[in-house]
Amino acid sequence: MDAIEIINLYFSYNHKGVLYDINFNIKKGEFVGIIGPNGAGKSTILRIMAKILKNYEGRVNILGRDIRGIKQIDFARIVAFVPQETHFLYNYSVYDIISMGRYPYLSPFHRLKKDDIQAVDWAIEQTGLEGFKTRLINSISSGERQMAVIARALAQKPNILLLDEPTSHLDIKHQVRIMELLRALNQNGFTIVVVNHDLNLSSRYCDKLILLNQGKVYKIGTPAEVIKKDIIQDVYGIETLVIQHPGRKIPQVFFK
Amino acid sequence: MGLRNWRKYLNKVVLLVLILIAGILFELFTGPGEFTGEIMQLRILRVSLGIFAGGVLAFSGGILQGLFGNPLVEPYTLGSASGAALGASIGIVLLGYANPAFSFLGSLMVGFLVLTIARIESGLLRDRLILTGVVMSFLCSSLVMLIMIGGKRELYEIIYLLMGYLGIVFTPERRFIFLLISILSLFIMLYLYRFHREFDIISTGVETATSLGIDIQMFSIKVFILTTLLVSFIVSLVGAIGFVGLVIPHSSRMLFGPRHIKNLVGSFFLGSAFVLLADAMARNLVVYELPTGIITSLIGVPFFIYLYRFK
Repeated sequence: MDAIEIINLYFSYNHKGVLYDINFNIKKGEFVGIIGPNGAGKSTILRIMAKILKNYEGRVNILGRDIRGIKQIDFARIVAFVPQETHFLYNYSVYDIISMGRYPYLSPFHRLKKDDIQAVDWAIEQTGLEGFKTRLINSISSGERQMAVIARALAQKPNILLLDEPTSHLDIKHQVRIMELLRALNQNGFTIVVVNHDLNLSSRYCDKLILLNQGKVYKIGTPAEVIKKDIIQDVYGIETLVIQHPGRKIPQVFFK
Repeated sequence: MGLRNWRKYLNKVVLLVLILIAGILFELFTGPGEFTGEIMQLRILRVSLGIFAGGVLAFSGGILQGLFGNPLVEPYTLGSASGAALGASIGIVLLGYANPAFSFLGSLMVGFLVLTIARIESGLLRDRLILTGVVMSFLCSSLVMLIMIGGKRELYEIIYLLMGYLGIVFTPERRFIFLLISILSLFIMLYLYRFHREFDIISTGVETATSLGIDIQMFSIKVFILTTLLVSFIVSLVGAIGFVGLVIPHSSRMLFGPRHIKNLVGSFFLGSAFVLLADAMARNLVVYELPTGIITSLIGVPFFIYLYRFK
């Protein structure tokens, strides 16, 4: 059984087509990157998988079940979504933000129970935020804030983690820290899907890449199969140099 | 939360209770007239009305600011207050006096009109509610102005209604209405308070809330209907007391933090204390009683600037 199956998926917004006949599968335990130019439909597809956008045509199965038949709250225990760049209007503490991830497990007025506190502590430990628990979310750096948002998703204890450009706007240290964290989680059994603009980072960390262009799947395969000079020329319309990483058998892209 | 934080929280709660008690005493024991049984009875009614009106308005404001993730939203943004003013103005012209039933119906009708118009398109209902509410408020205000110009005699009464005024005449009938809607409002508020976690989560983003399992569309409609009811109750009795629903939730958030489990309670009591103090001043500043709503803004702005600047 696959973690995610997308079957004949169409989506339009204000009568304009966004996605056309998308089909692909993501196996359990895979680390998948969705790449493609701006407007290709990457974020849209991620939001459909996250059961945030619902007025699509076609079918999305998660762990073998059509997601239309899963209640939102039950879905939140299986799939967690990390939005791109979260702004916080009200200044919650980092701990408050992360413990929101336990919402799908709580009933009203019930305080966090032992399980919940364990899950939150585990998420904090995974993301290395031990020293930030009582800090306010708007007073920490954007790298730490992104970690806190990922920690909230982890506190949901999901099987599948969907992330929308988790490393954009971050320095290289935080980019690598986040991708390393995702890889460690992946090795512990999480299925991970990341939308990412950075081809080199995607190539370095993902097992499989899905390249979208103009609302269609252009190519699916390993980084070596997808990141090619001709393909990039065709999809992005720019000339590049694709060279094998000196230490690993993966392609890296250079500007000419 | 550590013990020290709880103690800090407790200190603030004690401070709040003291302010509230001060407000009650001030309202009870100032002003013209002797402390006869009859006058005291009226003042006790006025105090209860102030506690109720201030508390409910601030509580509703806190809820809406959480739901819309927008600190500029207040109960009147959604159109129900101007709807009440319109209903009451029509009532004054038709009957010659302000009838709570007219305000209540006006408020509800505009509230539901806003909801219906906002629901016509698909997509994010939550954001469209604000815009529709603001637009409908303007429409109602224009109609009220039209009525005011048409019926010159009633001008004075309508102004008190627009600004909000606690000194209503308590006929036995109105006492009963007041009792009834106090009880109803209490239940609605307790019901809404149960969703404090939802308000926390929604205030951090709609997508996050959805992915955490909240059905944002249904939830928004439910909260909108219930707060419209609450606000309709208030404005039908005392008119549109301004400023409380906007600024008190802010102040409460600054004092008690962003979590709704704390700041909604803070909003209620801070709102009560604030309206009582404002009304006591409205009664004593000049020889005749001013509309309470004038004073809430006059003393509210400096209070807000103080909190904003020094906290």
